[in-house]
Amino acid sequence: MLVDFEVIKRAQTGDSAAFNEVVLAYRKRTLGTIARLISRPEDVEDVAQEVFLRLYFSLDQLRTAEVFEPWLYRLTVNAAYDYLRKHRRRMESRMSDLSEQQVMLADAAAGGRVDHEVRQRRQITETVDAMLSAVSEADRILLTLKEVEGLSLKELENIYKVNENALKVRLFRARQRVLKAFGEAGKEASVEGTAKAEA
Amino acid sequence: MNWNKEGDENTALDRVFRAYRDACPDPEASANFMPELWRRIEERQRSVFFLGRWARAFVTAAAVLSMAMAAYLYIPHSRTSVFSMESYVEALAAGHAQDAQDLIEPAMDEL
Repeated sequence: MLVDFEVIKRAQTGDSAAFNEVVLAYRKRTLGTIARLISRPEDVEDVAQEVFLRLYFSLDQLRTAEVFEPWLYRLTVNAAYDYLRKHRRRMESRMSDLSEQQVMLADAAAGGRVDHEVRQRRQITETVDAMLSAVSEADRILLTLKEVEGLSLKELENIYKVNENALKVRLFRARQRVLKAFGEAGKEASVEGTAKAEA
Repeated sequence: MNWNKEGDENTALDRVFRAYRDACPDPEASANFMPELWRRIEERQRSVFFLGRWARAFVTAAAVLSMAMAAYLYIPHSRTSVFSMESYVEALAAGHAQDAQDLIEPAMDEL
């Protein structure tokens, strides 16, 4: 726990200073989790505020200290899931609106501005984002929590309230789907590479 | 990147996820984070308050209406009421009193 349960208890009684303390303790971690779950830096704060807003209005239901963190994770997961579901269509149309030439021009312009490291980061983010788009929002979140956030199966059990075997099956299937997308991305990359080499 | 040459896909996938973790460090919150959060909390509180007030008013109005209906149905009404407290047979008999007399009374033989 990043804060004493006493602070949470005070926040439950409506103490705004105590609630601020809770938010400040968990803010950075929550922002990081959301950033990796939704891959849209411009909307991370908005989703994080939604998480703490839900926390504020449901805090009185909390009974024990040990369930606080899984509970906060669950709120984070739910808010990220809502966001992804709501924005999936918008993101798809936004990408399809751009012509190939526009994308190339944007890439070229961005390439001139950002340095190599930033470009590499962006490339890996885009690759993972594209791969995770091959699975449902729920699987994307589960995979991110397990493979990127590094949560254990026990922690995931507490968040999802399902048994370990069910989680393992879901993770396996999600991973298989991502691997398929991963393979296809690899093939595309190698085809592009060959084409460039031939040119 | 040629993923097929990377060897085991699973290992490569794990590496990609690790790289993704490193490429996305925990971001810092903007200075506006807390004021904006409290603004949203207050806004939600206000809407919850108005919704609560509206719900209470609705429940009160429904209770008053129910009581008025109950009072209307249970208080005895005058005979001029369109509703009759008589049974169907009683009402029928009262409506055809003359006919009933003809049937019941013995016929008068004219002498």
